[in-house]
Amino acid sequence: MSTPPLTSRRPEILLAVLLSACLVALSLQVRRPTGESVGERWLQSILGPFVDLVAGVRTAGGDLAEWSSSRRALLSENRQLRSSAEALEAELLRLRGVERDRDRLLALFGAHAAPPAGTVAARLVAVEAAGPFRTALLDRGADDGLSPGGVVVAAEGLLGRVVAVGAGTARVQLLSDRVAAAGVLLARQGRAAVARGDGRGGATILYVPTIEAVEVNDPVVTSGTDGLYPTDLPVGRVLSVNRKADSLFWEIQVAMAVDPARAARVFVLPPVRTSDAPAGAAARR
Amino acid sequence: MNSLRLAAGLALSTLGTLGLGALGLPATPDLFLLPVGDSARRGGAPLAMVAGLLAGLLEDLVSVPGRLLGLHAFTKVLIGYVLATIAARTVIEKPAAVGGLLAGAVVLESVALVLLLWILRGEALLPPPLLVLSRAAATGLLAGALQVASRVPWRERREARRRMKLG
Repeated sequence: MSTPPLTSRRPEILLAVLLSACLVALSLQVRRPTGESVGERWLQSILGPFVDLVAGVRTAGGDLAEWSSSRRALLSENRQLRSSAEALEAELLRLRGVERDRDRLLALFGAHAAPPAGTVAARLVAVEAAGPFRTALLDRGADDGLSPGGVVVAAEGLLGRVVAVGAGTARVQLLSDRVAAAGVLLARQGRAAVARGDGRGGATILYVPTIEAVEVNDPVVTSGTDGLYPTDLPVGRVLSVNRKADSLFWEIQVAMAVDPARAARVFVLPPVRTSDAPAGAAARR
Repeated sequence: MNSLRLAAGLALSTLGTLGLGALGLPATPDLFLLPVGDSARRGGAPLAMVAGLLAGLLEDLVSVPGRLLGLHAFTKVLIGYVLATIAARTVIEKPAAVGGLLAGAVVLESVALVLLLWILRGEALLPPPLLVLSRAAATGLLAGALQVASRVPWRERREARRRMKLG
């Protein structure tokens, strides 16, 4: 069956066009009992998917804008939190430093729970270790109540004593100084002896007979017999024990309990008075 | 020529409809159907449908009360196509056949109007059958009369009368 030519179909095409035009015109005018026109209903049916699409795009756009806004807010909040975290980290580091200082102080007060009246806290601002003489400089002086003979201790033990005082500074003779000496006690054996600075950062214990069983790492504390230092202040530990061939005494090297280069904070105890015998007991507390 | 004839027919139909409406007659012929039928018989389906469109629009404009614009245009385009299709297949020259065909067209248009309004409004608005029949009869009679009048050789008669006066 062949398709008729266009010229013969023209009346039907024209008929369809005219009738469609009339129907469209009518549908735009006629209102159904429900109140809406047929054209509006047809238009709604045709445009419904498009309207849904536009509404969907609009909703998606709104969601996207909201997401973008939330993202900006989150980024801003993230920046603030990072900044806050950095500040908190810095604060934490500072607090850790403070905690270390507190621990040192607690250790000091732990060793001397009730420090003698007149105890002054100070800083070691300089250590002179050139040559055989070992001294240090404190940032406190006579104006702060320091006087010659004051005992300088750190958290770990005895450091030395004050030998000269200025208005705002004081010089300390370290126990490792070549001309410094102190009465000490080998705590394990209960043997009294004398420790003298070796000028190299340590000390040598003299006059311990070879019949004493001295071992490395034995603790050494002050004996209080010298009238310079209170008793029971840690001096150090035995580093080595030697004996000369013709000698009746051990030659004992002591590693000092306190490294002056690391003892930033110290306490200066009042000088020990020889007439004040119980002062050693008070310091022991 | 057909276009001028159509324009004249539409103008006369409009004037006639307005005049008959002013008289308030109970049953008036569908004057707009006459130029549609004439175009279908002389110019074929395209001209008949265009004539139907124009006639229908005019009828919608002059109808009292105002109708929907395009309502009668739709039905008259359809009637024009139907009449042109019939005229293309048969030879209708007798006045009775012309009158009957147009009377049937009036009935067919009424049915088409009812169906169209039912589709558009969702409710069937049936016109009084007697009114439809009387309108169809009036239209058929007028179309038959016009067909009779169109078959009279008016020009030859006028020439013969003039020759008689001169002779």
